[in-house]
Amino acid sequence: MSPRATRTDAPPRATAHAPRRRRPLAPFAGLGAAVAVEARKATASRVMASTTVLLVAGIGALALVMLLAAASGEEQVLAKLGPLAGVPGWAGLVGVVLQITAAAGLLAFGVALSWTFGREFADGTVAALFGLPVSRAAIALGKLLVYAAWSVGVAVALTAVVAVLGFAMGFGTTDAAGVGELVRIPVLVVLSALIAVPAAWVATLGRGLLPGIAATIAIIVVAQVSALADVGAWVPLVAPALWAIAPGTVPAAALVTVPSVPLVFGVLTTWAWSRLQLDR
Amino acid sequence: MSAAAAEAPRLEARMVARAFRGGAGVHGIDLTVEPGEIHALVGLNGAGKTTLMRLLLGMLRPDSGAVRVRGRDVAEADAATWARVGQLVEHPLAYAELTGRANLEAAARLHGLEPRRIPDAVDRVVEEFALARYAGVRASRLSLGNRQRVGVAGALLHDPDAVVLDEPTNGLDPAGVIVLRESLLRRAAAGAGILVSSHHLDEVARVADRITVINDGRVIGALDPAGIDLERAFFALVHEDDRARTADPTEQEDAA
Repeated sequence: MSPRATRTDAPPRATAHAPRRRRPLAPFAGLGAAVAVEARKATASRVMASTTVLLVAGIGALALVMLLAAASGEEQVLAKLGPLAGVPGWAGLVGVVLQITAAAGLLAFGVALSWTFGREFADGTVAALFGLPVSRAAIALGKLLVYAAWSVGVAVALTAVVAVLGFAMGFGTTDAAGVGELVRIPVLVVLSALIAVPAAWVATLGRGLLPGIAATIAIIVVAQVSALADVGAWVPLVAPALWAIAPGTVPAAALVTVPSVPLVFGVLTTWAWSRLQLDR
Repeated sequence: MSAAAAEAPRLEARMVARAFRGGAGVHGIDLTVEPGEIHALVGLNGAGKTTLMRLLLGMLRPDSGAVRVRGRDVAEADAATWARVGQLVEHPLAYAELTGRANLEAAARLHGLEPRRIPDAVDRVVEEFALARYAGVRASRLSLGNRQRVGVAGALLHDPDAVVLDEPTNGLDPAGVIVLRESLLRRAAAGAGILVSSHHLDEVARVADRITVINDGRVIGALDPAGIDLERAFFALVHEDDRARTADPTEQEDAA
């Protein structure tokens, strides 16, 4: 109880403090602590480190190999590249990178999210996240914020690697005007990261990593099949992949709808964490 | 600390029930843990000890009854209340990728300690639980017992006054058991209310002020920590309860 003696000379504000004691834990109590702890876990984790390296170096190497094979007239690679085959300079390089990223990037992001959320259940550490002044909704949101920051880092790193690759191939002089194409890389990386967020929700509902990874694969299949069939420019899950293959078919407004996916599934995920029970 | 909070039980269950499919769970348990008290729960596997602890910490919501922490309903408890709670139920907070020390720092952050107070708090608990050798080692390389030590240390480093520990001696070596015992006795003497479950009746007898026996989701009696043959007394209670339940079909219907 607050000391009675201060009542008489206290400003009106003091009485407003009284009901505060009855208020339960704020929905996002301790968000700062949650972000700090999640960031520390992510930076220390080998899963996140190896995913980053595999994604950035892997996509760079794969793009290089495909370009070289295409230049030497390898038929299978030419078939895979489709309309991109023979596109010179930055547009060709960026096009190949985007095509790989639309699938491989999404997979990497989905795996990272599934691990971030599912590992608490798989390792049993979720029990230690109860009974704290940090709400579980804050922990879930902290995970999503750290993931978002990481995806921006991946976008910057991949763009840098591809830029180095392009300049090494001499595009700096042969196709100086086309360098603006590089901007499409961070856009697609971040869009791919955004549409992977349902994996966090499914990993939470399924109490583990595998359900999240299964959800990721389902998203990839839907996105890729629709993109190849050239349908779904206005479907947020499909728009990034379609934009990667054929940018002309996807209006900018359609890309703006993509953040609805992380919004809806981010809310569902934090809600699931705030209502979590260890009943199975 | 206000007078009201000092008088309220640290932990309190009132006719709390939560049933699982198949009849397991807890079926109307009354229990309190007073300030300065170590209250031990004993019972066979599946008796409902962990379920009761989960209910007290909000890991499960009760079907009926009330659960309070430091006088506040668990569903309504605020940050200040939870900042005074420490718990280890089943798995320790020991992330494989973090070192022993980094795990303790994470635990300190999550328990609401201000960042500038964390190094001291971690130093103290590293010393208390003799963790200096393992502070720089990733938890993935620690033995089960040392991970448990890190977990117990992380649950207590903010000097909570409401503590719930589910079989905290799991995996601990004899030295670790003594360190834990002394820590719990010291914290209870300083006013903490501690609920602890264990299968080791000898160990329980050394630390507990009260021993409550749980069977089939109910409190069936108490053991005297100073008693001579706790094991015999424990099984006498459990067998008598099992006999009574199987002999009285109406009682069994109530349970289902």
